[in-house]
Amino acid sequence: MLPNRLPSDWQRYYAQHRTAIVTVVTGLLYAGGWTLGAVTDADLAGAGVLVVATVIGGYDIAKHGYYELRNRTLGIKTLVTVAAVGAIGIGAYWEAAAVVFLFSLGSYLEGRTMRKTRSALEELLELSPDTAIVRRDGSQVEVPAREVRDGEIVVVKPGGKIPVDGEVVDGESAVDQAPVTGESAPVHKTAGDDVFAGTINTDGALEVRTTGTGSDTTLQRIIRRVEEAQEAQSPAESLIDRFASYYTPAILVLSIGAFAATRDAMLALTLLVIGCPGALVIGPPVSIVSAIGNAARNGVLLKGGAHLETAGKIDLVAFDKTGTLTKDETAVVDVTGFDCDADQVLRLAAVAEKKSEHHLGDAILEAATDRDDTTSIAADGGEPSGSRRPSSDMRSDGGAVATNPMPAGSGSVPDPDEFDVIPGKGVVASHDGNEIVVGNRALLAAEAIAVPDDVGDYVRERESDGETAVHVVRNGTVVGIIALRDELRDAAPDVVRSVKDAGIRTVMLTGDNERTAEAVARAVGIDDYRAELLPEEKQAAIEAFRDGETAGKSGHVVAMVGDGINDAPSLATADVGIAMGAAGTDTAIETADMALMADDLSRIPDAISLSKATRWNITENVAIAVLTVGLLLAAVLGNVVHLAGGMLVHEGSVLLVILNGMRLLRH
Amino acid sequence: MTQTTQFRVMDFDCPTCASNVERAIESTDGVESISVHYTTGRVEITYDEDAIEPAAFERMIENQGYTPQPA
Repeated sequence: MLPNRLPSDWQRYYAQHRTAIVTVVTGLLYAGGWTLGAVTDADLAGAGVLVVATVIGGYDIAKHGYYELRNRTLGIKTLVTVAAVGAIGIGAYWEAAAVVFLFSLGSYLEGRTMRKTRSALEELLELSPDTAIVRRDGSQVEVPAREVRDGEIVVVKPGGKIPVDGEVVDGESAVDQAPVTGESAPVHKTAGDDVFAGTINTDGALEVRTTGTGSDTTLQRIIRRVEEAQEAQSPAESLIDRFASYYTPAILVLSIGAFAATRDAMLALTLLVIGCPGALVIGPPVSIVSAIGNAARNGVLLKGGAHLETAGKIDLVAFDKTGTLTKDETAVVDVTGFDCDADQVLRLAAVAEKKSEHHLGDAILEAATDRDDTTSIAADGGEPSGSRRPSSDMRSDGGAVATNPMPAGSGSVPDPDEFDVIPGKGVVASHDGNEIVVGNRALLAAEAIAVPDDVGDYVRERESDGETAVHVVRNGTVVGIIALRDELRDAAPDVVRSVKDAGIRTVMLTGDNERTAEAVARAVGIDDYRAELLPEEKQAAIEAFRDGETAGKSGHVVAMVGDGINDAPSLATADVGIAMGAAGTDTAIETADMALMADDLSRIPDAISLSKATRWNITENVAIAVLTVGLLLAAVLGNVVHLAGGMLVHEGSVLLVILNGMRLLRH
Repeated sequence: MTQTTQFRVMDFDCPTCASNVERAIESTDGVESISVHYTTGRVEITYDEDAIEPAAFERMIENQGYTPQPA
């Protein structure tokens, strides 16, 4: 067996490094032949060695050239083969060997660098572990990761990679989610949290109930998406491809024409060598693949080169307010009773909102149950306490409310007897013979409920602080105001500033009232805002920005930042829809032009700057290519550059655009 | 029955190389569609499994001078 193994290893090695080996051998022979010819008088021997170099180096090229012809295409390999054979035919042995050697060297280096850009994706592919430890019939068994069934419990040891998508059922650990979301800091995970295949469990053991395996994981979807994005042709690429299909035949005709006119075979052959628009064709795809690969590593998914080109032109960014500029946790910050006890106000509101499923309702319910747990108020339906006006200003701690994740005690809030949700306004409910109305000004106006002046003043005051004020009405009388606030994301002001610094207009869109919107807009330093918008009005606002708001003003290239579900229509209407927190929500990954895997607003300036850099990079690459081809053509026709020189410049320009495009990998 | 198979070719060194493989394979009997992506090196072939064996595609890619890897 042993004697057999050696050749097969060699064969494999040879197959893998064939281009490199052929290039080196050709190069050595070329140098040897040139030396023989130049240093000694053995011209014939030198020529012989050069011919051998040409044949060895040219064999693969000629083979590919033959395939090109058989496929009825005319590519560079056919042209190089014709040029090399022609050069030998007219006795230009040195030129023939040089062309073949330089072309092999160039191809080898191109292949190597292209592999590097392709490997950005391979790094992602290697993230997912192959096996998983599953609890089956009371014992732990190791099975291939893709064979884990949904609902099975997977055990992940500290330091291990998580093999499946799922929900933590037991254990506690910090999970490094960088591979999926691009977040640099590990995220704390306990029971109830989602985890993703390919992320790294750092310090504690976790038990995970499987929700997705194999190709049905967030990571695999990301990989598929990145690949599709890299394969999608951008407008610049399609344009160049069309150009290339005319360029090569045109050069061929020019070459034949030049030979017919001048009888200069060398000139005609040199034209053939530069007849492939190599750098032009290869430049834009390398820029785009590098940029998309770089973005993916940082938790930003881009749908394709076309979107990247559009994103480079953005001059207006519209941010959704709630959940985008602000954290996704609205909390009650203040309850004030008017001729009514504050606890009573909160309780009434909680009953009415119990089934509303609105995020403000959830916050009120949470605050009410939190109150219940801490002060254990048993009184239900008790009389209003005293006649202080305005009465006890109860400050409930917003932070404490937010850390109570589940309204576990919500059972203690009774169900309303009847209730009706009025979209965009509030709820109308009845309980224990009382009619309860909880909502905004518009709802009170619609229900013909008078708002006393002191209540109105108080509401405006809270709104000016950027809070949302909700009226609580019992039997036609306003009994209290609940003030809610969603905290700004820490990164929001910085992000808005960097977007503005890039010369881009910023606008905030919100369903909130004018005063709250104004206060938040001021706090983040945004240029402009549009308040009291219904979802379809947000879409209309985006359209207005695109069309140009005022007559005679040209439209903007608009990016919209929002969450992938509620803001989906606006994201689709914008030139570039940017979805936040896309990890785990497949619709966002599918519909957005740009998806931020993490809830990390600060990726937006980076992504926009990468897009701009990509547009520049493509322009640079096209400029390099066009200049090279133009100068080469002029130099060849002017008899300044010949076969080998033409090849050297041609290959050099191809490498130059690849290296230039690869700069985007480290942007 | 229509089947789909994928290969990865890491040694395409120009966009034309990729389209050559595409042209060579698409005219084969039993091949319904093929897409070859230069930038990612991914080759995806939809074919009729009664008419052609997937191993044939590997040989065809090799015949064009490239090394297919399973994807």
